[in-house]
Amino acid sequence: MQNPTPSPGAKILLIEDDGETRAEIRGALLERGYEVADEATGTGGLAAARRGGFDLLIVDRMLPELDGLAVIETLRAEDVRTPVLVLSALGAVDDRIRGLKAGGDDYLTKPFALGELTARIEALLRRPVETRATVLRVGPLTLDLIDRVARRGEREIELLPREFKLLEYLMRRPDRVVTRDMLLEDVWNYRFLPQTNLVDVHIGKLRRKVDGPGEATLIRGVRGAGFMIVSASEDARPPLGAKA
Amino acid sequence: MILENSLDLFRTSTFRIAGISGGVFALGVLALFAFVYWQTANQETLTVDRFIEHQVQGFVVSRPDELIDDVALGNSTIERRIVYAALFDGKLRPLAGNLPALPAHFPIDGLAHAAVIGNHRPVRAAAATLPDGRVVFIAREVGEVRELERIVRRALLLGVIPAIFLALAAGAWLSGRELRRVRRVHQAAARILQGKLRERLPVHGSADDVDRLALAVNRMLDEIERLLEEIRGIGDAIAHDLRTPLTRVRARLERGREANRSRAELEAAIDSAVAGLDQTLGIITALLRITAIEEGGRRAAFRAFDLARIVRDVAELYEPIAENAGIALAVGAAGARALNGDRDLLVEAIANVLDNAIKFAPRGSTIDLAVIEGAGGPTVRVRDRGPGIPPGERQSVLKRFYRADKSRHLPGSGLGLGVVSAVMNLHRFEIAIGDADPGCVVDLICVPRPADPARD
Repeated sequence: MQNPTPSPGAKILLIEDDGETRAEIRGALLERGYEVADEATGTGGLAAARRGGFDLLIVDRMLPELDGLAVIETLRAEDVRTPVLVLSALGAVDDRIRGLKAGGDDYLTKPFALGELTARIEALLRRPVETRATVLRVGPLTLDLIDRVARRGEREIELLPREFKLLEYLMRRPDRVVTRDMLLEDVWNYRFLPQTNLVDVHIGKLRRKVDGPGEATLIRGVRGAGFMIVSASEDARPPLGAKA
Repeated sequence: MILENSLDLFRTSTFRIAGISGGVFALGVLALFAFVYWQTANQETLTVDRFIEHQVQGFVVSRPDELIDDVALGNSTIERRIVYAALFDGKLRPLAGNLPALPAHFPIDGLAHAAVIGNHRPVRAAAATLPDGRVVFIAREVGEVRELERIVRRALLLGVIPAIFLALAAGAWLSGRELRRVRRVHQAAARILQGKLRERLPVHGSADDVDRLALAVNRMLDEIERLLEEIRGIGDAIAHDLRTPLTRVRARLERGREANRSRAELEAAIDSAVAGLDQTLGIITALLRITAIEEGGRRAAFRAFDLARIVRDVAELYEPIAENAGIALAVGAAGARALNGDRDLLVEAIANVLDNAIKFAPRGSTIDLAVIEGAGGPTVRVRDRGPGIPPGERQSVLKRFYRADKSRHLPGSGLGLGVVSAVMNLHRFEIAIGDADPGCVVDLICVPRPADPARD
């Protein structure tokens, strides 16, 4: 199944020293309709980023010549505000904090699924999420943030507080893939890897409430990536889990 | 090599200390000798001066002519060391004695003065005017002072110079000994560098500086050896636990590659291979996580938080999972219970214990999750009605990678309780595993044990 790319033509600069990883990521991004320039060293990457014209930078943490964090810090000091996704083989919590402190906007630990990478790229490209609306609408779904009421058409959906939060998170990102890690981090505020497929179970419960019997599927699984809530007419789309 | 070795000898700190203290000692002795010499010489000169002044005064009132005769004849009856005696008339022309003329500008005042006569022999001399206008002059040699000078010089030669050499020799000997010890330490270190990690630095038994250093290094080596052993064990465990899913992945890919497969079958084979790889990556991630927690740098991030609340949060997170497994979750964590620590890590620990319990509990059973108040502080208790953990395996399940054999078919990295153990250790909390008959009780005793200085 082809992931949707709601930001086609976005220009991405990839700074990664490992040739094979670079080729893989580059290929995956090109396939999804992004424009990609790549650099193998910190100094080369910094020079390219300074020339500008990119919508997003993907920076490996450890680079030859100039460390990835140093590249980001230099750019931020020069007031380059392009969003940065940091890639790293260092997975400790402190490394993540250091990466974000240096000016990175998101941090992804190697190895990662390509779906996770593209989901996060989309999230960064489409920042900021609209936060002022008090009623969210996606297809037949409405979510009243003040009265804490969810409706599908006329049907009111009974939700537990955590389910409400989960649905709100999805509805703020319609037609965009959100990954399990993103949900754990943003909805539950947890930064550990659960042994069980916790997120799937919670999404499953929510989906049974949102997509009633005979109704079209709004909450879909995206293979190898995560989940998505769709706004367009459901009939044109393949059912959950089917292959393109 | 010999030259280099002897240079080594002079470069040792022991030799330098010996050299410096030898030099300071020699300077001190020199100063002391100089002082004694100066004092004694002064005293001697004073005695001589008084004597000749007294003599000259005596002549003024008595018979100088006899004295002059005696001196001239060389048989002084007064004092052997009166080397010159002479009598002059009012116009300083010699009348008697063994001196043809007074030394130039010699004051005739009855007081002693230094003078040089004839063969440049230094003397102390005095001249006085007699009542009849004649002038009497006597001079006395100062042999005592020169004798003293000679004694001092000889004492210096015989005493101080050998003492300096002795100090240097002792320094060389001590530093040679020290050098040999250091060389033995060097050799031991070189052997350790070559990989002989059981080797230890030689300890003399004297508890001196070098010994204490060697003991400290040896303790460090003990710890390094222990850690290496542990890593070797982990390496074996990783090899064991990674080999299984990797072998499975390999088999699936191989089978998938065989001819006459439909596209759907191929995709299924690839998906299952990816799932197998994800499992191995999960194991690696969990292992790195344990290492990161055990590094202990996170103690700086300890804050006060509400234990009861995070227990309720974890329960909420796992409620649907338990429900799916047909298990009831009974939560007893009302109110608030403040605790100091790393909130995120404790969430992870409690979640792991609960996750584990859900995995093993039979359908239709109940799991109790509660915060109970123990003797020294709160305890998080998780009780399931599963098969329990045999007493012999309770220590092992807390180690990384250990899985009771009968659970090998269950999903997971096998590191869940290893993470719990790492988190508890970081907080110096205790973990206790007991029987519930049926089932298992895991207590996370959130009471820090006193700091162990040897480990931190």
